[in-house]
Amino acid sequence: MIYPKKYDVIVIGGGHAGCEAALISARLGINTLMLTIALDSIGAMSCNPAIGGLAKGHLVKEVDVFGGEMARNIDETGLQFKILNRSKGPAVWSSRAQADMTAYKLRMKYVLERQENLDIKQETVDEIIVEDNKVVGVATNIGNEYMCNAVVVTTGTFMKGKIFIGLNEYKAGRAWEPPSEKLSDSLRRLGLRVDRLKTGTTPRLDARTIDFDSLKIQPGDDEPIPFSFKTRNFNRPNMPCYLAYTNETTHKIILQNLDQSPLYSGMVESVGPRYCPSIEDKVVKFFEKKQHQIFLEPQDERSTEIYADGLHTSLGYEVQLKFLRSMKGLEHVEIMRPGYAIEYDFVDPTQLKHSLETKNISGLFLAGQINGTSGYEEAAAQGIIAGINAAFYIQKKEPFIVGRDEAYTGVLIDDLVTKGTKEPYRMFTSRAEYRLILREDNTQLRLAKKAYNAGLMSKEYYEIVQEQKIKIEETVKKLKTTYIFPNDNTNKKLKELGTEIIKTKTDLAKLLRRTEISYDKLREIMPNLEELEPFIKQEVEIDLKYEGYLNLQKQQIEKFKKYEDLKIPKDFDYNSVGGLSNEVKGKLMEVRPVSIGQAIRIPGVTPAAISIIVVHLKKLSDGRIKNSA
Amino acid sequence: MYDDDIIAAIATGYMASAIGIIRVSGRGSFDLLEKIFTKKQPYKHRYIHYGHIVDKNLDIIDEVLVSIFKSPESYTGEDSFEINCHGGILVLNKVLQRVIEAGARLAQPGEFTKRAFLNGKLDLSQAEAVEKIISSKSERALKIAQRQLKGNFSTKLDSIREQILFLMAENEVLIDHPDEDLSSTPTLEKIDILKNIQNQLESILKASEFGHSIFEGVVLALVGKPNVGKSSLLNILTGLERSIVTDIPGTTRDVVSEQFNINGIPFTILDTAGIRKTSDIVENIGVERSKKAIQDADIVVAIFDATRELSIEDREIIKNIKNLNKKYIAVINKTDEKSLINESGLGLQNIINISCKTGKGIDELEKRLSEMASLGIVDDADVVSLNANQKNSLVMSINMCKQIINDVLDDIDPSLIAVDLMSMADYLDEIVGKITNEDMLDVMFKKFCIGK
Repeated sequence: MIYPKKYDVIVIGGGHAGCEAALISARLGINTLMLTIALDSIGAMSCNPAIGGLAKGHLVKEVDVFGGEMARNIDETGLQFKILNRSKGPAVWSSRAQADMTAYKLRMKYVLERQENLDIKQETVDEIIVEDNKVVGVATNIGNEYMCNAVVVTTGTFMKGKIFIGLNEYKAGRAWEPPSEKLSDSLRRLGLRVDRLKTGTTPRLDARTIDFDSLKIQPGDDEPIPFSFKTRNFNRPNMPCYLAYTNETTHKIILQNLDQSPLYSGMVESVGPRYCPSIEDKVVKFFEKKQHQIFLEPQDERSTEIYADGLHTSLGYEVQLKFLRSMKGLEHVEIMRPGYAIEYDFVDPTQLKHSLETKNISGLFLAGQINGTSGYEEAAAQGIIAGINAAFYIQKKEPFIVGRDEAYTGVLIDDLVTKGTKEPYRMFTSRAEYRLILREDNTQLRLAKKAYNAGLMSKEYYEIVQEQKIKIEETVKKLKTTYIFPNDNTNKKLKELGTEIIKTKTDLAKLLRRTEISYDKLREIMPNLEELEPFIKQEVEIDLKYEGYLNLQKQQIEKFKKYEDLKIPKDFDYNSVGGLSNEVKGKLMEVRPVSIGQAIRIPGVTPAAISIIVVHLKKLSDGRIKNSA
Repeated sequence: MYDDDIIAAIATGYMASAIGIIRVSGRGSFDLLEKIFTKKQPYKHRYIHYGHIVDKNLDIIDEVLVSIFKSPESYTGEDSFEINCHGGILVLNKVLQRVIEAGARLAQPGEFTKRAFLNGKLDLSQAEAVEKIISSKSERALKIAQRQLKGNFSTKLDSIREQILFLMAENEVLIDHPDEDLSSTPTLEKIDILKNIQNQLESILKASEFGHSIFEGVVLALVGKPNVGKSSLLNILTGLERSIVTDIPGTTRDVVSEQFNINGIPFTILDTAGIRKTSDIVENIGVERSKKAIQDADIVVAIFDATRELSIEDREIIKNIKNLNKKYIAVINKTDEKSLINESGLGLQNIINISCKTGKGIDELEKRLSEMASLGIVDDADVVSLNANQKNSLVMSINMCKQIINDVLDDIDPSLIAVDLMSMADYLDEIVGKITNEDMLDVMFKKFCIGK
């Protein structure tokens, strides 16, 4: 039947991308429907029971500032919180939490179910209905048609998903859940290029059969820090993880049974992620390594199921059990669920705009693993951007675009739509050119204005952030204009603080730049400096200690923006430009960059080609020639 | 809407003439000029200003004429100026280096024309050619670069690239994968790699200075006391009519060319003005001048007069050649007449008897010169020719490499080291090829076992 209620936005899928997309769309006042294959799996963590980590923590915090749910959800359901890289600089501090994955998904479902403007239904979407290159609805497996104006597709690994355990293979979207067999064909018919990717997961073990006493314990931070800037009264447990190691016997078992691996027997041909290799790959490629670390992580506070991180495998069940039991502490281990490899359809993301709308079909948005990414956080970041833009599309507003200079979310999306991907794309801090500026600690400071202007942040929070910003700026200014003089008293104090004495009039900012000096130590020298809240103190210290490098990156951003602002018309005719090689032309026509800045980032596009296009654009804008397209 | 930073380039080509022009354009050009020019602002539009280009310590580099063109009435439409130098290629290069040191960067191929076009300075018919100019100039630059990428040099570049990528990957793996049981590379090992990179970069820079003998000319000094036959020899080597050479010094004053070719190797003769003026100047200035010429030359041709006894000046020249350990050829001129000089009395090797008058020994001299010029090159298999832009990048990358050595020794935050490593890689873009984050990740996943 054609369902009588018409929706503005339909979100297909209830994973980490789908949840954020549906929630933000509804929160923006848009009449939204979520269609999912399995209601019980809303917000499910298919792989590791953790949120955050390097670069991923950044994404979670950005989603939070944009009005998303992931940060709040983990703050409510985390089992262990940790700031990684504390010993390194603030740019690479990263939050990570172990999650109670059952609690996580239940809370997410709870939030969705209570969201105004949002309906949730369990149905499998088989087709996207398009008229005149515009989305008008979807058709489901039970014969329903839902009319709508925009669709966000977040199918994860479900499209033509195929699971491999040893030499066994079967069709599934996630272990023991049915795949979506028809949707990717529908996308193909709409003219989208669809390809295959592979990923994998690890065996889940029974805690009752693990000898934890013989393993190294890894607790979280004693004073956990929440992800969301909105979280108050934070009080979560500190459940430990454990460290186990493979050994030469383990490796021997794996090497002897490679013929049992679909990856080595040629059953799986698609590309898996380099950063998350199977244990088979690790043993083969790093033959000289005598042991590999395995992290045993709790999945659920009330369950005995343990996730064995670092052991992604698609070897047969018998081999999995055998090599597991060769490890210290796991001699008597029982597998509750085996590890597996999964192959699935994804859409080449260079077919998308920065809004995550497809270039050729209006109102069709894609987010998450369907765009070739991997990771809950990467999915959530795309989900919220696609959700916002689907809503803005309905409201006929300008798309919400996040730049590489503003957020990891911007880096992620720009990488996808500009370069595409050959393996499941994961975020790394090294992908962010302006890493020193795009930090976790300043997420709200750098994005509040953008979020507030787009209606994603309440006035109340925005004002709080503005006050913080002003306080930081004032303090920095004050320290730069407050001086101490080289008298006996001052130098005595400096000596006591273990820092060099001064010989000339010195401003406090200069003193604070010394490695061993903190704001609190400045207060010992100059007691009338006011006490500040820890966050302000931290930001002032970072701003001053890193000032030189931060200014360098700010200059680079200025230059970057100049090129981003140099727009290329949508219908720009590359064929009419003399002096471009066919290879370069082909790449440009495939990606159709929106700006000179984006064009520069397309692999294989040379600086000379860029110069030529700039000149051609100028000719167009002067009306000296006409765009013949 | 596009860059308007200050760009500079030699506008007359390297092989042209004794007079060279350096063109500079961009916002703030005149402030830059003031830093390096003895004549201070205000500069008058479309006027030629006389003065000296000076280095940081205000020592004179060259006596020049500078033409001023104020925006928008200039070729590019920006504030720009042109420096007319008189000191030949070496000095021209020095002036360019000084301009860059003062804040300009080297122009990309076709960039002046591109700017002229973007500022609406070219009409439609001229503008049609701009794309072609940019692409053909870049193509030529690329071809030269590719030619350079063959042979021993390319192995060296690959190895530099590999080492930089390793350092980047090593740095990043510890940042992005703190959970993995990877031991960080010991500081000393990293310093070794960095020092190795620095050495290799320096050796390329050095090789490029050798290399310039093929592409930009071997710098030759003709030294000798007055009336020994320097200008006669100059005229013979530069291919001017032998008939105009007389016994009277200074009669060849109108000779402009200071370059000649032997077997395709270009030679540039230093201080031709000095050679031509010898009879006009007092002795000790002549001695100073020849000393400087010996210092700056790749090869010294010391000329002695067979018809006169060795003078104090002759001995001074011999001493300088030996002290400065220069490649040289000792030429005894006027051997068509009765010789008063004993070859062994010179205390030099590599002696040729010639006569500028009869042409005796000239072929032999040319043969030896060409052997010597190519010998220096054959000696070092890593000869490279780099354009001024690439040389400049090399110098910058070497400085950055030193900076990173300090970073590592000071154990600074790895995310800051990453910034410095990236800027070193960026300077080497044109030389070792662009290093992208994807390249770094490739190396990282190959070299380090990551897999949580």
